[in-house]
Amino acid sequence: MLEEIKQSLKNNPEIKAWNVRHVITRGSQQYDLAKTTEAVRQISSEHYTIDILCDSLDAERKPSSGVGTVTILPGGEINQTLEQAVLTAQLVHNEPYDFPEPASLPDVELADQEYLKDPPGSIKKVLVSLKEQTASYPHVRLTAAECFGQEKTTHLVSSKGINAQQNATEIYLQWVYLAGEGEEEVETFTEIYQRRIADLNLEEEATRRAQYTSDLLLAEGPPSQTGPVIVQGGSLASMVAGEVLSGSLIQTLSTGEMKYSGETPWKIGKSIFRGDIKGDSFNIWANRQLPYGMHSNAFDAEGIPAQRIALIQENKLEAFIADKRFASYLDIPATGEFGNLELKPGKTPIEELTREPHIEIAEFSWFNPNPVTGDFACEIRLGYLVDGKDRKPFKGGLLLGNLLDALADVTWSSETGFYSNYLGPSAARFNHLQIAG
Amino acid sequence: MKNNNLKPEMNLLRPFLGDVVSTLESTAPYGAAVLSSRETVKYLVDNKQERVIIGDPTAGAILTAFDGHTLRERAIGGFDKNDLLQGAKDLLRDSSFTKNGSIDPGLERKHDYQTTMENDPAQVPTSEKLEYLREMNRRVNKIDSRIVNARISYVEFREKSIFRNRTANLSQDVQRVHMSIMVTVMGDKGVVFDWVSKCGTAGLEILTFTDEELETVVKNAIKLLEADRIEPGEYTVVTAPGVSGVICHESFGHGVETDMFLKERAKAANYIGRRVGSDLVNIYDDPSMPGAFGSYFFDDEGVQAVSTQIVKNGIFERGLTDLYSATVLGIPRSPNGRRQDFSRKVYPRMSNTFFGSGDTPLEDLISQVENGIYLPKMSSGMEDPKGWGIQVSCHYGFEIRGGKITDNMFSSIGLTGYVPDVLSSVSAVSSDFNLSGGYCGKGTKEVVPVTDGGPHLLMKVRLG
Repeated sequence: MLEEIKQSLKNNPEIKAWNVRHVITRGSQQYDLAKTTEAVRQISSEHYTIDILCDSLDAERKPSSGVGTVTILPGGEINQTLEQAVLTAQLVHNEPYDFPEPASLPDVELADQEYLKDPPGSIKKVLVSLKEQTASYPHVRLTAAECFGQEKTTHLVSSKGINAQQNATEIYLQWVYLAGEGEEEVETFTEIYQRRIADLNLEEEATRRAQYTSDLLLAEGPPSQTGPVIVQGGSLASMVAGEVLSGSLIQTLSTGEMKYSGETPWKIGKSIFRGDIKGDSFNIWANRQLPYGMHSNAFDAEGIPAQRIALIQENKLEAFIADKRFASYLDIPATGEFGNLELKPGKTPIEELTREPHIEIAEFSWFNPNPVTGDFACEIRLGYLVDGKDRKPFKGGLLLGNLLDALADVTWSSETGFYSNYLGPSAARFNHLQIAG
Repeated sequence: MKNNNLKPEMNLLRPFLGDVVSTLESTAPYGAAVLSSRETVKYLVDNKQERVIIGDPTAGAILTAFDGHTLRERAIGGFDKNDLLQGAKDLLRDSSFTKNGSIDPGLERKHDYQTTMENDPAQVPTSEKLEYLREMNRRVNKIDSRIVNARISYVEFREKSIFRNRTANLSQDVQRVHMSIMVTVMGDKGVVFDWVSKCGTAGLEILTFTDEELETVVKNAIKLLEADRIEPGEYTVVTAPGVSGVICHESFGHGVETDMFLKERAKAANYIGRRVGSDLVNIYDDPSMPGAFGSYFFDDEGVQAVSTQIVKNGIFERGLTDLYSATVLGIPRSPNGRRQDFSRKVYPRMSNTFFGSGDTPLEDLISQVENGIYLPKMSSGMEDPKGWGIQVSCHYGFEIRGGKITDNMFSSIGLTGYVPDVLSSVSAVSSDFNLSGGYCGKGTKEVVPVTDGGPHLLMKVRLG
């Protein structure tokens, strides 16, 4: 069917450029409760997504470009569907641009070969391992767990000559731990996305979550104070890199699209911060080449090869992240999609970082700053008041501040960690944040 | 039976679905077959660009076999008869079922449903939709020269499905539309924005904006440049319907989806028949509400849409169920079995969730507040079904002084509290009513369209 689609596209003189993505997906899902399996599902799907670029004249008779996108299922009608895409492309008026040319593609590791040997068996094994691991913690109970595995094969061909294929896997695991009884019962809810089962770090994560759950039982009310706040692990990753399925503040403000529309104040060569930098310097790469990163790929939807872009160096913006279109408008190199966020570690070991009295935030309800200003007021699900001797858990209260201001006054750990879409320091001490109890 | 705008390939497969269900029930106590197509088209016009984006397709068949203990499903992309028949064989070959107990397939019913529309988006050319967005962009930009960008987005969702089990042969064609106007301005503090949106299960006829609505969103965006952060503390607040809605969504919405009962995640499971709020608190979930964004005719398990009262005069009555949770818990079904798309499992999910209106005129309610905060706009919320904590992020709020809303604006306000404390503090409920539409997930996945809302509420909460 791909050949038929290509032939129809080649035969249409109104089309300036096109690309076709043939995507095949196979998935396995298992949903477990404490003592039973709730559901078992197998999923398969296949489709062709076609982007068509046409040139036309806008209302003022100026040259313009537009894209029409359509999707065809196997056996679906081709010519009529492509005509719809051409019509749409001719109605959308933007500054002229073109699709990317072919370029050599890097080898990026994306697929879990162990999972692919037996997908349903692999996810079942993950859930069994989780149960076995949980048995080591008599103070917590595993009451629910879900594990999904997916293999996605993408074959991209384009009128410019791109002909590339990549195979990627995704593993999703969530579980619920309970501790205590009756009115005092508490829970923790964990979600992890990775490309490989091995990167779930099941033993380490289960141990950490079991500890959190039992600490919640002892948690008291929140303090009200301003001072150093330590954030570690996945909570730090979501603060800096955003949730796996959504973007981060840094990602939003560094896009070529936002620069073109005048909605980001960031400028190349200028500090991204509003005031003085009091902490460690901030150095970020937008990295699609990170092995098994959730946002890694060999090529993106347009076919732009994966790159590791030096985005922010010594607090200054070095580049904007742009697809071919916005790169053309801004006259900058096309980077393709953002990918994963890689952050340069600091020089301070965690032991030293945590030596002085501080507050540690283990888990937010949801760290969701304003997507353009960075202001936040986020509820604390579990925190610790650390005075140098004791480590007292607390829950509730708000962490208040502005993310950019917080990143300008931070000490990064020298130890690093990999959390789905983030590679960087595994702990940070934000030197001046407010907790409202 | 009339076929209502379903895809031709879905109609071709429909006559075979009864045989597929019979095949499934030759081995499993209960079988069902669903054909599901969900299409999304997004249009965007702003000051610098135009886009028409067609969302990833989600079209396929779902075969379900259930014995009261474990749901077994095959989800097959596309609508190919041979794939469907092979899928049924594979499902039975790979599964074993216990035979004790029976699953109620519901009453005999056959019906085709379709959203009532004056102006069906499918009948309106792309050129007209784009021109409407361009005109809206021009209208907004004329209001103030400080506008950096006016992003006008319009999304149409078409959900077509056929549900077949032993007793039901149903189809629905649900049209959802959503239009949002986001205004960005830049000042010394950086970039700030405000937005206004409208949505529903309807046609394009609901997507009109008055000059006053556009002027208000621009005025508030500009005002945000000067807004202060609020001093953390406990406040008397008046929540507008959008904020009231998030409070009920996060408190007695997520926390009463009964998969949470099975997972032992819901504190509400121990509170059936017990007081959880003041007498003034009534909470409903109603997928049959005409025109609401979260409405449908039947859920993804073929259950007719009707209203469910969750909290009655402050007493928790019941939760929201799907087939699995109702069967295992032995409680009545509600029409809340929903899946993100054919590739995902059904969960008990909210539809349109709201506080019931009271009888206090809004002016009277606000006049009761000597010192407080008016919260007109939410930006997000997060549930805590076990701890009964609540987090609602509000885009901004205005000071209330001497019974009047002032121009003194605070921005990025976090509302938190312990759910029974928050609901028990509700001391007045206005007589107005409004719903806001959006999308809701379970954790970070399983996204479905919903609304929440209700009237204005007077309460005491913690702000930061």
